[in-house]
Amino acid sequence: VPSSMQCGTRRMGVMTDVHRRFLQLLMTHGVLEEQAVKRLQKHCYKVHDCNATVEKLEDFINNINSVLESLCIEVKKGVTEDDGRPIYALVNLATTSVSKMASDFAENELDLFRKALELIIDSESGFASSTNILNLVDQLKGKKMRKKEAEQVLQKFVQNKWLIEKEGEFTLHSRAILEMEQYIRATYPDSVKMCNICHSLLIQGQSCETCGIRMHLPCVAKYFRSSSEPRCPHCNDCWPHEIPEIFNPEKEREAGTSSSNKKSLRSRQH
Amino acid sequence: MPYGQKSKLRAREKRRQARSDTHSVKGAQTTTAEEEGSPSSSSPPSRDSPESSPAAAGIPQEPPRVQPITTATVVDASGTGASGGAEGQDEGGPSSSAAPAPTERSQRDPVTRRVSTLLQFLLHKYKMKEPITKAEMLKIVNKRYKEHFSDILRRATEHMELVFGLDLKEVDSTGQSYTIVSKLEITKEENLSGGRGFPKTRLLMPLLGIIILNGNRATEDEIWEFLSFLGIYDGKRHFMLGDPRRLITRDIVKETYLEYQEVPNSYPPRYEFLWGPRAHAEANEEKVLEFLVKINDTDPRAFQALYEETWVDEAKRA
Repeated sequence: VPSSMQCGTRRMGVMTDVHRRFLQLLMTHGVLEEQAVKRLQKHCYKVHDCNATVEKLEDFINNINSVLESLCIEVKKGVTEDDGRPIYALVNLATTSVSKMASDFAENELDLFRKALELIIDSESGFASSTNILNLVDQLKGKKMRKKEAEQVLQKFVQNKWLIEKEGEFTLHSRAILEMEQYIRATYPDSVKMCNICHSLLIQGQSCETCGIRMHLPCVAKYFRSSSEPRCPHCNDCWPHEIPEIFNPEKEREAGTSSSNKKSLRSRQH
Repeated sequence: MPYGQKSKLRAREKRRQARSDTHSVKGAQTTTAEEEGSPSSSSPPSRDSPESSPAAAGIPQEPPRVQPITTATVVDASGTGASGGAEGQDEGGPSSSAAPAPTERSQRDPVTRRVSTLLQFLLHKYKMKEPITKAEMLKIVNKRYKEHFSDILRRATEHMELVFGLDLKEVDSTGQSYTIVSKLEITKEENLSGGRGFPKTRLLMPLLGIIILNGNRATEDEIWEFLSFLGIYDGKRHFMLGDPRRLITRDIVKETYLEYQEVPNSYPPRYEFLWGPRAHAEANEEKVLEFLVKINDTDPRAFQALYEETWVDEAKRA
């Protein structure tokens, strides 16, 4: 549907099979990087309406979201914390607890996730070690769970894109951050960390050793992009950490590198 | 009256005005009278629709029906009231439609909230490719709203159809088990990229074909014999599929694409495969038959090469 047809409408959009197919595929993939989302959009146009101009992605998604709004669902855009890749997922709004995952997991599994989540939020690095999580197995609600079983449940969380594992430690998957940010901020208002630059939830990032403010790695990269002498935006002390390189879609396309070739970042800088 | 109050009152008036003009909109192809898009148990009695039944406060009624609209109009629900309609839209695509307009009150209405919750549950089940039982749906909606269940279900499935192009289908005649199917045809690329789940393993198609060929049921032995032509053997780990026995007797069965059951009166017990409810709901029979024709024309010795060729193709494209 050409966007010119929507000139009289401010809030409502129009759904066609292009949008429906897009939503179906986005849902089945769970979370997708921006490049993949653009390819997906093009694919949907091709299947249904070869001749129409592919709408700019931002407008396309805003259009869809205006229709989804009344259903408390949204196509939400986020950014991966470690390398700043833009990602998209279809998220439920308005559910206020870990019950977002509720139908996937048993009561004791949900509780294990809650415990892991709390450890992650309380940690300095944004990571919780497998050992520390497993030590809490006795405190879980519901059916008794052994450590061996808990290890498998943690892997299930990784497969379902709720957690990421790195060298025996766990942090939140960007999909979980997208879906649960509101819940986390509301449930852990005292321990939750926020980014000084973008003001959203921070799990992994860098912090100033003098005044303690924190910034996401992609936010650091953007903020200090052209400074030769990076200084803390709050207390002006020297910024003590290496400024990371973040995802640049143009560079990657030119170099033709796959994501596995990218310089992997030591994301724990504290 | 203090300044703040006056403007609040005006805003409320405007919203009430907008609500009485707001009407939901469907595509031109739908011929049945459609549901009011923003029903709530306390909808204002000033609705103009001739078939409307005034809703008594607190008692949810059948929402007022609106006449079918021949051009899809898109409604601005931000409270500007007045005409309530925006641009008419050319009905070029039979499937273009606008979703019903929300109003502030309907979003707080518990019944409407339940519609959202049920819809989210259904979408989740679609993602997980799991069957849905009526009991599960009732649980989500909550016993308290049991009487409104069919209304809630209808509204949720309408949204699912309009917004996501998905259908809730009964799997068997008992009406207890359901599955969600796309109204949109699944393209070859979508299948290959694994974005659809059917048939991810590419094994399902041949199996469904063999079962039809055999008169709608095939014994386990017959299945393994056929699979051996494809280089797949019971107990031998396959480079793409992993453990084939686990795949066909457990994973595919769990997704209700196949049924695996004991052959009645067999001793020692033997097992057979049949099409599962999900295959009946989802499988494009024509495509399955096409596949059958292709393999019928092929020398069994060439099967394996042909089959493995398709794996390589898939890997190249991925």
